[in-house]
Amino acid sequence: MKDGLLIVLSLIALTSLCDTINQLFLKSAINSLNFTPTFNIVRIFKFIFQLLIKPRLWVGFVFSVISLCIWLLVLSKADLNFAFSADSMHYIFIALASKVILKERFNSLRWLGTGLIISGIVIVSLS
Amino acid sequence: MFKKKVTLKILLLLIASDILETIIHFFFKKSALAQNNLAVVDIASALVFLKAVFASPFLWAGLLAVVTVFIIWSTILAKIDLSVAVPIASFSYILVPIASIFFLHEHITVLRWGGILFILTGVILVSLSSKERIAQEK
Repeated sequence: MKDGLLIVLSLIALTSLCDTINQLFLKSAINSLNFTPTFNIVRIFKFIFQLLIKPRLWVGFVFSVISLCIWLLVLSKADLNFAFSADSMHYIFIALASKVILKERFNSLRWLGTGLIISGIVIVSLS
Repeated sequence: MFKKKVTLKILLLLIASDILETIIHFFFKKSALAQNNLAVVDIASALVFLKAVFASPFLWAGLLAVVTVFIIWSTILAKIDLSVAVPIASFSYILVPIASIFFLHEHITVLRWGGILFILTGVILVSLSSKERIAQEK
């Protein structure tokens, strides 16, 4: 049983990590496009098209598919509540990757908020 | 350079993508549950499992929702930082319990309300952190 728990936890860490990598590639592709947000549907679709021809988006997509496959495996093995609470480690990965790789600037407010969200998710999922 | 502030429109887009995300999880859980009798022990059985999952209509409905979320999510990320968008997207942890009170008449424990309060405060702080950043840059 304990072995099974460790496997599920590592699988959840792996799916979180793959999703983080996917988000990084997506955000980096979007950043390179310099698109000014709009609610004009035509411009949005043009933007999505430009995004789809970026090779790095597809690298991210591969990771997203891997992440999905592992997540489906996790869901078949673990309780949804447990899976979601453990998946909150995703927020730690995203915060660190955004800071280190995307060079997004963090202030204490953002760290505090992210920490509160992680604690909240663990409480909600396990209660 | 446009402002990276979290506006009401962005917040509404995030909630829309959150609701879709919840639907996706529901569909995927459904498609995985249908294969409960398959034990995944090695690569070969994992492939059998995935083949069965991909034959489920729930998975394809989920994938359609994934495409929609991708379009909404890309629009959001064009405007705000990844480290702001992802934490705010945790809103679904609040939406699901609230939806289950109204639609399913479920009872929510005090502990769970505490957790919801934590998430809500966190989301507000992260949203504000983006505003403060703009102020610093001026």
